Parts: sequence; structure tokens; C-alpha cells
Amino acid sequence: MLSLSITKRFPGFTLDVAWEADDPVVVLFGPSGAGKTLTLQCLAGLVKPDRGRIALNGRVLFEGATETNLPPRSRRLGYVFQGYALFPHLTVEENVQFGLKGRPRAERRERARLVLERLALTGLEGRYPRELSGGQQQRVALGRALAPDPDLLLLDEPLSALDAPLRRQLREELGLVIREWGKATVLVTHDLAEAYQLADRIVVYEGGQVLQAAPKSELLWQPTSERVARLIGVRNLLCGTVLKATPEIIQLHWRDQTLEAVNSPSRLFLPPPGTLLPFFVRPEYVRLIRKDRAGVDPDHHMNLMDGLVVGDLDQGTAWTLLFRLNAPGEGSQGAYDLEIEVPKLVYEILDMARDRRWQVSIHRGSIQVLPSE
Amino acid sequence: MSAEVVSALLLSIRVAVVATILNAIVGIPVAYALARRQFWGRAFVDLLVTLPLVLPPTVTGYYLIVLFGRRGWIGAPLYALTGWTVAFTWYAAVIAATVMALPLLVRPARAAIESVDRSLEQAARTLGRSEWRTALEVTLPLARNGILAGLVLAFTRAVGEFGATLMLAGNIPGRTTTVPLAIYTATQTGETADALVLVVGLTAVSCVVLLVAGRLGARAA
Repeated sequence: MLSLSITKRFPGFTLDVAWEADDPVVVLFGPSGAGKTLTLQCLAGLVKPDRGRIALNGRVLFEGATETNLPPRSRRLGYVFQGYALFPHLTVEENVQFGLKGRPRAERRERARLVLERLALTGLEGRYPRELSGGQQQRVALGRALAPDPDLLLLDEPLSALDAPLRRQLREELGLVIREWGKATVLVTHDLAEAYQLADRIVVYEGGQVLQAAPKSELLWQPTSERVARLIGVRNLLCGTVLKATPEIIQLHWRDQTLEAVNSPSRLFLPPPGTLLPFFVRPEYVRLIRKDRAGVDPDHHMNLMDGLVVGDLDQGTAWTLLFRLNAPGEGSQGAYDLEIEVPKLVYEILDMARDRRWQVSIHRGSIQVLPSE
Repeated sequence: MSAEVVSALLLSIRVAVVATILNAIVGIPVAYALARRQFWGRAFVDLLVTLPLVLPPTVTGYYLIVLFGRRGWIGAPLYALTGWTVAFTWYAAVIAATVMALPLLVRPARAAIESVDRSLEQAARTLGRSEWRTALEVTLPLARNGILAGLVLAFTRAVGEFGATLMLAGNIPGRTTTVPLAIYTATQTGETADALVLVVGLTAVSCVVLLVAGRLGARAA
């Protein structure tokens, strides 16, 4: 259990964050300069917050009120730095043994041997960091941080130093290492794919503040604000006018259509009619009404709309259709109103390359409204 | 070779070696503090160690007399206590050489320490090291080239020091006459053969030191 509530003021930037986590992997996600790395440095004791409290599994690492501030060496945290920060004047083995000082020599060697073996670094003991590939350097950095058996592993942009193809491969490798060692981990990244793949819980940072902290699946489905939705790359982020809001449903006017969305019962969000309200529709949750099937079932097919496919983008395994509604005026996303994702097989069966006029429907549970700011 | 020449050479080497050791003891911590620590009076310390580089050596020598002379701030209590004064002894030559050489060590050493990636020091601290151990195990080893270069410069400066040495230690043959002073005396008194031997000797020593330093630097890099 990690709980953190800290403030740190700099000229022109203030970090003011509070979050808790009891998950194996917590990802701090957000744009550069949001305060993610600074949070890690405060956790590790490399930067002293102005006030607040940091506690790990009941152990207080920092508490402004009682002037408690454990030095980095007493916090028992493993820190993997951006760019790895391997000691260039020491060999791989010396790097991995660095955090084991004070233990008997035989134990140090045995521990280092075990760590190197588990990370598939056996045979590289005598090499210097500059003689290693990017992936090997990453594993040495992990090994060095893990060797003293820390209570928490901190990873600062562990993959940002690498090229794209290697990056994807190492992301998988990193995920495996983290799971296999079962170490509670806090990872900083500005890469969405990295966050999704590695996180159990995501804490969204922007401008020194936490916008939302939630389990990964909850964050994906219920971003609490338009800013979060934008940061996590939500597509079809649109804006409508409220017609009616009840605890069950919200009716919206958008592009000459009346849309009905489920009002999440947990939120009980009741904006007055006329309010501009952001909402989003996932491209893979827009239904196409097949012309070869019998009529429309009103229980199933809600929010029916007619329109035209004005463009399609090949995504490899799926097509993204750019869909424009039959409504006057400019599309809500420029030339089009909705992105719709269709698996390649469906695209081919329905001959969508030639047949461009379609009726679509969106289930009211698939329209997510976002509290306006 | 005359006895004066031999004694000047031996004295110069002794003074330069001791001054270089003192430089290492004082200069490396000062360079580290200037590079890595914020402390009260930091700007003043920076100024103090750099001044001998820009002041005329005689001015530095004058200050040293004010400090270490028999009636100096440090010299007077010392004389009252022990009846001994540092002025006009070979120790005075060591003090003068040390002070004059200090900026030549501190400046490159400081630059080298500043160029050490701070995340390496932070890594050491998260791996159980105090700041002191981090400096010894990470920062200074990685700044080694700059520190060695500084020590070499400091040594050559100490060998060649003239003005401040003359002010504080005087020019007493066999006691405080270092090679540069002996060259000056020999030239003034027309003993050109002695002067030539010393000039060539000093040049040779400087060349050897620079070559060795270059070799060391190349191997370290």
C-alpha cells in the first residue's frame, strides 16, 4: 500500500498531488513536464517536498508535519532511471552488486549471480555498460535496482531511450520481468501504449496535478473529464447540447440528431437543459445496419442515423471509416462526424469499398458523457 | 654543476611535490563543494581560490605576508606561541606555491565534477550510499581525468612559482632559492652557465610531466 500526498513549489511550477494505490503496477501517465518524474524523485527521497506525507506499507518515508524525511539510502526503493544511469566505470557485475554493499562477499556474489541469471545476463558479468545493447542495459538497470530486494520498484520512462521496434519488444520483456518478480512498481511514462500494456492502475497527471487515478479499465471507460479523455487518446470526442437529464438517461442534441445516453447511476449527473456537454463514442461500438437483414429492432437499435462514408483508413487488421451524417453544415470533426472501426472481414463481406451509404446506430450505453468543466 | 644549482633543483622538486599533495587535500574537496553543494559564502570561496590566477603574484605574496608574516594574522600568534615563523623558510615556499597553484587544480576539477551525470549520483544514493560515499565511489572516479589534469597543471605551476615565493620565502641560497629564483639570481650575477643548466632542467621537467600526463589522460579516456 502506497499513499502519497505532497506539495512542492518551484518558480513557475507547482506539484500538488495526492493518490493511493495497492496495485502491483501503478503507471503515472501524462504529458512531459506534468510532474511525474518529480513525484518519483520525491518518493525516492531525491527531492524533498515542501509538505505532505508519503507512506509505504505503513512505513512513513516523509512527513512534513513531523519533519520526517528518510534519506534515499534508507527508503529501500529500487530506482531505474531514464537512460538507466549505469555506472560507466563499473562492470555489469559491479553495477548489480553496488546496492549489496555491507553484506558478506559470498552473499553478494551469489545474489548478483542469481539476478543476472534470471535476467538472462549470464556471460556479460565482465562487460562495461557501453559495450551492451539497449535491451541489455535495461536489464542491468533492472537487476541493479532489484538485487537489494527493494519494497518498491520505481521506473522512470524505462523505454523512452529506444527506437520504436525495439521499444515494443522491450515493453513486453519489461512487463514479464515486473510480473515475474512480483515487485510493486510505480512506472512513469508519456506513452499511452506503454501505460495500457503495463498498468493495473493509471494516475493521470497534467500541470503538476492529478486529473484522475483509477484502475486501468475504469479509466478507459469512465474518464472523469474531457481533459482526461483527450490525454488518454479517446476518439470521437464530441460535444452536444443537453435536452433533458434524468438519473437514468441524458438526451442530447447533436448534428440535428437527438441522442440518448445512459446516465451512469454512480454519477447522478444532472446538467440543466441547454448545457454544452462533451461526450464520446468508441469507434468500435458504432453499429452498421445491414441492408440484407430484416428491419430495425427499436430495443436493439437506438440512436439511428443516416450518412455517407467519406473516407477510409487502413489500420492493418481493421478499417477506420470516416462517416458523415446527412445533416447540414460542417461535420463535427471537420469533413466527417464519426470514426467507425470495422474489422476487415466485415468490410469485405459488406462490400463497403463500393457501398458508401449506411445507416448506423449507437447503443445508449456506448455513449459516454463527460462532466463539463 | 654547482652546489647552488643542485640544491635549487632538489628544493624545487620538494616544494612542488608537497604543494601538489596539499593541493589535492585542499583543492579536491573545494572543487567538489563548489560543484555540488550550496553553502553560505560559496561565491566568496570561489573568488578566493580564483584570485591568485588574476592577481600579480607579488600582490598574492603581499597578502600571504599579511597572513603568515611574523606580524601577520596567523604568523603573529604562531610566533608568540612557538617563537618560530614560517617566513623565509622552505615551508613559506610551499605555502606560496600551494596558493598560486590552487586555481589551476580547482577550476578543471570543478568542471569535471560538474559534468558527471547527476542521475549517477542519485542512483548511488538510492542504492544505499551517503553523499560522502557517493562522492568517493562515483563522482570522483568519473571526474578522474579532469582532476588529474588539474594536478599536473598545479605541479608545473608549483615548480615555476616565482613572485609570491620571493615575497614570502625570500631568496636565501640553499634554503629558499627554488629553480626560478636561482635562474633570476644567476642571470643577474652573470653566471650564465648555471642559468642555462637550470632553464634547460626546468623545461625538461615540464615536458616530461606534460608527456606523462598526456599518456595518463589517453589511457583513462
